[in-house]
Amino acid sequence: MANYQAPLRDMRFVLYELNQGADLCKLPGLEDMTPDLFDPVLEEAAKLCEQVLHPLNRSGDEEGCTWDNGAVRTPQGFKQAYDLFREGGWTGLACAPEFGGQGMPQMINTLVSEMICATNLSFGMYPGLSHGAYTALYAHASDALKQAYLPKLVDGTWAGTMCLTEPHCGTDLGLCRTKAVPQADGSYKITGTKIFISAGEHDLTENIVHLVLARLPDAPKGIKGISLFLVPKFLPDADGTPGRRNGAACGSIEHKMGIKASATCVMNFDEATGWLVGEAGKGMRAMFTMMNEERLAVGVQGLGLAEASYQGAVAYARDRLQGRSLSGVKAPDKAADPIIHHPDVRRMLLTIRATTEGCRALAAWVANRLDIAEHSVDGPEKREAEDFVAVMTPIVKALMTDLAFEAANHGMQVFGGHGFIREHGMEQLVRDCRIAQIYEGANGIQALDLVGRKMPAHAGRYLRAFFHPVGDFIAAHVEDDELGPFVQPLAKAFVRLQQATGQIARVGLAKPEEAAAAATDYLRLFGLVALAYQWARMAQISLPKADQDPFYRAKLGTARFFMERMLPQTGGLFSALMAGGGALMDFPEDAF
Amino acid sequence: MAEIRKVAVIGAGVMGAGIAAHVANAGIPVLLLDIVPAGAENRNVIAEGAVAKMLKADPAPFMSKRAARLVSTGNVEDHLDQLADCDWIVEAVIERLDIKQDLYARIDKVRKAGSVVSSNTSTIPLDVLVQGLPERFAADFCITHFFNPPRYMRLLEVVQGAKTRPEAIESVSRFADVTLGKTIVMCKDRPGFIANRLGVYWLQVAVVEAVDGGLSVEEADAVVGRPMGIPKTGVFGLLDLVGLDLMPHVNASMAKALPAEDPFHAANRDLPLITKMIAEGYTGRKGKGGFYRLNRAGGGKVKEAMDLVSGEYRPQRKAELELPKKLKDLLASDGKAGRYAWRVLARTLSYAASLVPEAADAIPAVDEAMRLGYNWKFGPFELIDQLGAAWLAQRLAAEGMAVPALLTLAGEKSFYRVEAGKKQYLGLDGAYHDLLRPEGVLLLADIKLNAKPLLKNGSAALWDIGDGVTCFEFASKMNALDPDIMALLGKALKLTAKSYKAMVIYNEGGNFSAGANLGLALFAANIAAWTEIEQLVAAGQETYKALKYAPFPVVGAPSGLALGGGCEVLLHCAAVQAHAETYVGLVECGVGLIPGWGGCKEMLARWAANPKMPRGPMPAVAKVFETISTATVAKSAAEAKELLFLRPGDGITMNRDRLLADAKARALSLVDGYAPPAPADYILPGESARVGMVMAAEGFHRRGIATKHDLVVAGELARVLSGDGADISKPVDEAHILEAERAAFMRLVRHPGTLARIESILETGKPLRN
Repeated sequence: MANYQAPLRDMRFVLYELNQGADLCKLPGLEDMTPDLFDPVLEEAAKLCEQVLHPLNRSGDEEGCTWDNGAVRTPQGFKQAYDLFREGGWTGLACAPEFGGQGMPQMINTLVSEMICATNLSFGMYPGLSHGAYTALYAHASDALKQAYLPKLVDGTWAGTMCLTEPHCGTDLGLCRTKAVPQADGSYKITGTKIFISAGEHDLTENIVHLVLARLPDAPKGIKGISLFLVPKFLPDADGTPGRRNGAACGSIEHKMGIKASATCVMNFDEATGWLVGEAGKGMRAMFTMMNEERLAVGVQGLGLAEASYQGAVAYARDRLQGRSLSGVKAPDKAADPIIHHPDVRRMLLTIRATTEGCRALAAWVANRLDIAEHSVDGPEKREAEDFVAVMTPIVKALMTDLAFEAANHGMQVFGGHGFIREHGMEQLVRDCRIAQIYEGANGIQALDLVGRKMPAHAGRYLRAFFHPVGDFIAAHVEDDELGPFVQPLAKAFVRLQQATGQIARVGLAKPEEAAAAATDYLRLFGLVALAYQWARMAQISLPKADQDPFYRAKLGTARFFMERMLPQTGGLFSALMAGGGALMDFPEDAF
Repeated sequence: MAEIRKVAVIGAGVMGAGIAAHVANAGIPVLLLDIVPAGAENRNVIAEGAVAKMLKADPAPFMSKRAARLVSTGNVEDHLDQLADCDWIVEAVIERLDIKQDLYARIDKVRKAGSVVSSNTSTIPLDVLVQGLPERFAADFCITHFFNPPRYMRLLEVVQGAKTRPEAIESVSRFADVTLGKTIVMCKDRPGFIANRLGVYWLQVAVVEAVDGGLSVEEADAVVGRPMGIPKTGVFGLLDLVGLDLMPHVNASMAKALPAEDPFHAANRDLPLITKMIAEGYTGRKGKGGFYRLNRAGGGKVKEAMDLVSGEYRPQRKAELELPKKLKDLLASDGKAGRYAWRVLARTLSYAASLVPEAADAIPAVDEAMRLGYNWKFGPFELIDQLGAAWLAQRLAAEGMAVPALLTLAGEKSFYRVEAGKKQYLGLDGAYHDLLRPEGVLLLADIKLNAKPLLKNGSAALWDIGDGVTCFEFASKMNALDPDIMALLGKALKLTAKSYKAMVIYNEGGNFSAGANLGLALFAANIAAWTEIEQLVAAGQETYKALKYAPFPVVGAPSGLALGGGCEVLLHCAAVQAHAETYVGLVECGVGLIPGWGGCKEMLARWAANPKMPRGPMPAVAKVFETISTATVAKSAAEAKELLFLRPGDGITMNRDRLLADAKARALSLVDGYAPPAPADYILPGESARVGMVMAAEGFHRRGIATKHDLVVAGELARVLSGDGADISKPVDEAHILEAERAAFMRLVRHPGTLARIESILETGKPLRN
């Protein structure tokens, strides 16, 4: 199995040079942070991931989880790893200090998440789901529920889940049937079946806190009738220790393509005792509070796997001798040249590299705005950050997971037949990566969210938070001598994006189906422009330093690759989406 | 036929005073008389007080302050002899037969021969009113029933008595139509005439059925609102507006007047909740609240609605009903909404069908009365056509309800049809008859039945309206100006220059145009599409310039709102023929912009050329600055003239339906010897004036009148109006000002303050004061 080394140099570049990470400590509520805390956190996380989580990745995949009469056992070593993880305080990294968390900014959390996902995505699912539950409760639960549950979720002695999907409804949660019947004591009895529940049952923690979407008896049909409930596996006693077993049981676990060490459960709720979180009928709103963070987190899952794939592929490409370079022998003392000299192998490696570094920058940009949205008290600044996060969330989720899957595939391809066998772990990365395009809102749904909700909202106001800074940057630098070559391709793609946006907004108003037909191509176009902007900015920072430091020279090289070899895809996407939805919708249904 | 040159109105209550004001709006002198209150020092106090009150009222009964000067006030004891000068005497006193008849006798002694006397009664039959009065009086007497408020409601119901001279009817009708702008609906001498007869029944049924059907007020109003095409307010909102306390009175008088077999009696049921609300002062908007209210208790503003079951207020909530778009689907649907809609409409439409020939000679009168008197979007027979008369008859029969004779007569036919390009209605003889428009009425809707547009795109069309005149029609959503309109206007000017003599810019939407499509502009700004925005500004400037210098006359014919770009198009026309109810203004500053399609330029030229302005370039500039920076809107065509949005020579048409014909005639009158205007040079005061205006704006800011962003906008406006660096000794041309407009516009449209304002207008309809 390939080695993994956390890309700390690039992370520091993204954190401090690209995003002025030190400024995070000026945000209200983050004043206790100091930038000198960030580096040790990243270094410690790297150590834990490299030394504890990574070695369990392959074995976890091989062994998987096992279900036995309602109990789920995680693969060997997971429990010990989780205890180390918990004791290190990692479960509370980005949680509020008032509940025992460390209060780190999202930006740091995002970088740490990348390392966890790169080394062991299955493992990362458990604390990841807990953090999702934490966020929803923190934003919406009553003080009593918060006091009872948040400290346990934050210190990791308890874990959390999100129970949304039912056998007949995933994307369309308005169809949800799970019932919640109010009780005299203010609690509710929850009954129904939820499927695809990650971390629904496991042996890592002493209790599990399920957040369950259910319908009250008098609730209206559809999405407005759904409320959110907290349902613990064990009902806590007065002193907070887990007591009586609640009516929430794992019926079975799924057998999956990837993330096999993550328990994906069927959860049966049978008159389970639960408590309302937030207002009745506002369940979806409560869920959406954590959706931005969760979707960013899924995008980062892809990023981590792509980075792992890159590291494996580069090592192999340096090592593996096959054929001779077309421009002349490079390793005369060897039987053949390392494959890293072949153009197509370079194409694949640089594609992965440009993807990972670009996505890391993009994710950090969004995480930075999440921090501002969460902490800023300056109205316009806060709103602009919220707008930005709203529009970029579907892009980060879908673009980063789609590109990551392609990247993981490239990484495997570099290995040839050796990538297809299990030994090197390259195929596991592909399998593990695949789910990220599906869960937390399939990527097609993300595209619909972008064109159907985010684009038209407030006559395009969310878009402003992206288009204005990018437009201003282009106007300021397109004529620069040195930077110009990096900005001109961005400018060209930006105009395509503007035109496509105008077109979709116009036709979509009259014919929503046209917008839907363009959605996926549009999201990719938008995403590539966002990456291009990040690459142009990275080039801007790197240009003056390239002479002294090979890191910046490599940055410029990758930036050039992105601008010349990846960004032109925007032309094809533009043509495709401007052709309209006729070719999709005119095709006779019975001819399929 | 006697021409009406002076009018008297007796009774200075809300209706009488409103009628007098509206006569004055038409430029006709009017005498307003009322009684002398016991012990009054000022014997004219009632009439004078009414005029004073009207000058402060909003919506204003007067179209301009000047109109008020045409009203002379007096009292019926001292000034009745002045009726001798009046050609039409309108009685609008209290609804008591003895008082009216006593007054008629006194009027008859002083009025001149051939003058017409009419009553504005809504409850007393004409036959009864003229009982015992001389034949000569009865021959000159009719009922003219105005709707409240008289300035704004276009319906006038006219009842001709058995003895009334046809010429008297003709003379009053003609005057009310052409001069006052009313649409005349001839009614029979039956209780409530047409509009109130059906309207009161409908309201009563809608309220009773909502209570019986367990609907909330929001639900009932949602069903009655858009799907049935009935006022935005719905039923309960409408009752709040007219006053709940009116309902029992009107119902009682209707009940008294209608024969025992009339279906009204079955619907006329006292509702304890309404009785209680009236008793406690919850009489609607004029009272403590009605079915809806804004609860300001506790400092907040909570929209509340009356719970029809508990009789308590609760927070207003949106009706959660699935309402099919088509009326027929709604009536056929088996939900709460569908059942309610059916129960209300089945009875209302049946009742409407029973009113011909009972209260009206033919069906168009009923439809017209409901459209204009109750603001229904469709008259009852138009609604029946949406359902199918046969479908309605069948369902009524199936549910054991009586099928009105008129529905049986219609059978499978519709009540209206278009035959050979003419709209026709079904007569009582079972045959179709042409729907005749009064002479001098020209409607684009009628032209469209017969013709294809000369040019057309998604947002506009060009029509041939005969005699060598084209009509350019805005046809975009809300008539918002967009690139398509500009493109087609350019083409229309070329085509008209080639093959026609003149052009009219006119449409039959609710509003002429409230300006540029701000949604489009904001979206473009949000995606930083600056080049496109600048192109749109430039295209508008070019198009309006082509309009101004066209080799043929272009006449703008607005009605309703003509704001922003909609005002600027008028500013570039050779002449304007405006409907009296036209509201004109350059309101760009309200959304953080300045007029960018030549509005600044044209207003500068108009005020500079105004002979009443003091000498020097500054007074005109200051006047324009004041008008534009405060986004002043003229609340009538008359006021628009005072503000120079219209020129002194521009025409005003009182009757909406006559606007196109008047505009066309005006365009044709300009054709002979027409020459486009010569481009003007501008002498503008330059930098010092700019500084002066900015200082003035800062003064307003310090006094809390102007906001922070107002200052930014005013600064840009001052720069444009001062001539953007112009030198007082060197005239600048139009191009210079246009460029300044464009540059200022582009700077403002990038400003977050402006974007926030546009967003606020689009999303809330309210200006943002940032």
